[in-house]
Amino acid sequence: MILYTLSQITQRYGKRTVLDIDHLEIEAGRIYALLGPNGAGKTTLLNILGFLEMPTTGRMTFNGQPVEASRTAILHLRRQVVLVDQHPIMFSTTVCSNIEFGLKIREMGKADRQRTVDEVLDTVGLRQFKFAAAHELSGGETQRLALARALALAPRVLLCDEPTASVDAENQAVISVLLQQINVTRGTTIIFTTHDRLQAAALAQQTLVLENGRRAATTYENSFAGTLIPGDNGQLHCTLHGKVQIPISTPQPGCRPIRSGRIYIDPEKITLSRTADQQEPGRDVTGTIMLIMAEGEKIRVVVNIGVLMVVLMDRASYQHHCPAIGATVTLRFAANALTLLDACDPPS
Amino acid sequence: MSFFLESFSAAIRLVASLDPELLTIVRVSLTVSCIATVFAALIGIPAGFAIAYGQLPGKRILITILNTLLALPTVVIGLFVYTFISRRGIFGPLDLLYTQQAMIIGQFILIVPQITALTIAAVSRVDERYRKTAKTLGADTWQTVLVVLREGRFGIGAAVISAFGRVISEIGISMMLGGNIKGFTRTMTTAMALEYDKGSFILAVALGLVLMTLSLGMNILFNLIQGRSRR
Repeated sequence: MILYTLSQITQRYGKRTVLDIDHLEIEAGRIYALLGPNGAGKTTLLNILGFLEMPTTGRMTFNGQPVEASRTAILHLRRQVVLVDQHPIMFSTTVCSNIEFGLKIREMGKADRQRTVDEVLDTVGLRQFKFAAAHELSGGETQRLALARALALAPRVLLCDEPTASVDAENQAVISVLLQQINVTRGTTIIFTTHDRLQAAALAQQTLVLENGRRAATTYENSFAGTLIPGDNGQLHCTLHGKVQIPISTPQPGCRPIRSGRIYIDPEKITLSRTADQQEPGRDVTGTIMLIMAEGEKIRVVVNIGVLMVVLMDRASYQHHCPAIGATVTLRFAANALTLLDACDPPS
Repeated sequence: MSFFLESFSAAIRLVASLDPELLTIVRVSLTVSCIATVFAALIGIPAGFAIAYGQLPGKRILITILNTLLALPTVVIGLFVYTFISRRGIFGPLDLLYTQQAMIIGQFILIVPQITALTIAAVSRVDERYRKTAKTLGADTWQTVLVVLREGRFGIGAAVISAFGRVISEIGISMMLGGNIKGFTRTMTTAMALEYDKGSFILAVALGLVLMTLSLGMNILFNLIQGRSRR
């Protein structure tokens, strides 16, 4: 069942367009990860999905009904969706009163409120802090309390803005498990933003990538600021973050001589081989393997070549090359591996 | 030095004996200042909140004007109100001059800008995330406003207390619009000025002590409330 449909949605602040989405559908009961660099429009999209901001232009439906801009309609929709901020703020009262806030608004009776408060505090493991001042909790506990405050309202959609970005490793694990548990036991649709591709892969059933306010047809990884410089013999040199040079055998069609912008390198179009194998100077880049993990039918290998480059290998290739963590390997980039996402003229 | 000590000990005896004249002066002062503060708070807090919270056109100009009005001398307000309520003024027929009502009007004008400006500052300091959090938890506009007010309550409380401190200790308005009529419009500050003119310091010092004690009491009460909320 489709819960949200967004068509031709744009959001502008002054003359700046921060979000421009042609089409997006969100299915009910699933977990979505929203990936993208800072300023990509992730938080703006969450605010729109949480009915906290209305888009400048475009059409939006929720549960099959068009979203109307009237105050009453928005309030009704907002009571079905809760957004948990990256740095959640607690009202200057007790843990219990913080959770009760939304329940009182919904005119729930005192006995039911207390029962709900106890339930959600048990879920997030904060029962012992029920009567503590909310401001005295640690960062991780605050994040869990924010989840409890949202859960108490039994929302259809839970939006989380970087839920684990500002907490320690222990709380990151707790929050990740909680999000999965909420999705499975309550059927709540969860949409969370993150920079962490691995977290997105581990938690989400679907990943959406934003680049400069637009949906990008990439997997977010291998997305770098870079410059394309034409070299000799029809080669194109790509400089990532101004420090790592990658040779590409043929220039991208339609590329102007020197272009800068966001460069995406398709991890499936990179060939990994052991350094001992035949290596062509000027065509290959060497690096050290940092991480190897299975991801469905593919093997994800992260190689440090000055930047962390993700390579997706099929199992046959993996078994042939047998890469090991710490080993030095060579990477070769296919001619069509590189896409310039948002070109601009380089600074003079 | 001995003169000061004699006056001081005599003043303490006067306060301790609950001198009827002293009590009347204190009662008039408190009545006028409390009523002026309540009315100013009823106008200043919502106005300050609306300016800080809303997207009003000319907001910056409004705040600049309010900040300028904070420095308005009491005698200027006294003169201004006098032109309206004196026999020749447009409100002359209401016979307000040299009454407590006239003093209340003057003091109200004195502290409305102060409460408004300090409420703007207090509400502006409330973290924007409170508003967003209240909204996402399902609060409507009024419930969101109450959340912001609750989070800014100490700043707003401080605004009201400082405004009360300003009116209880002012003299220009009370003298010009009240006329320092014994038992009727004589306040602590006008009485102190009169006693000073007469060279009689005992009542003046006694009233000064009461004034300082009141101010101290208000601040202690405020700090207690603030401390309790932070625990």
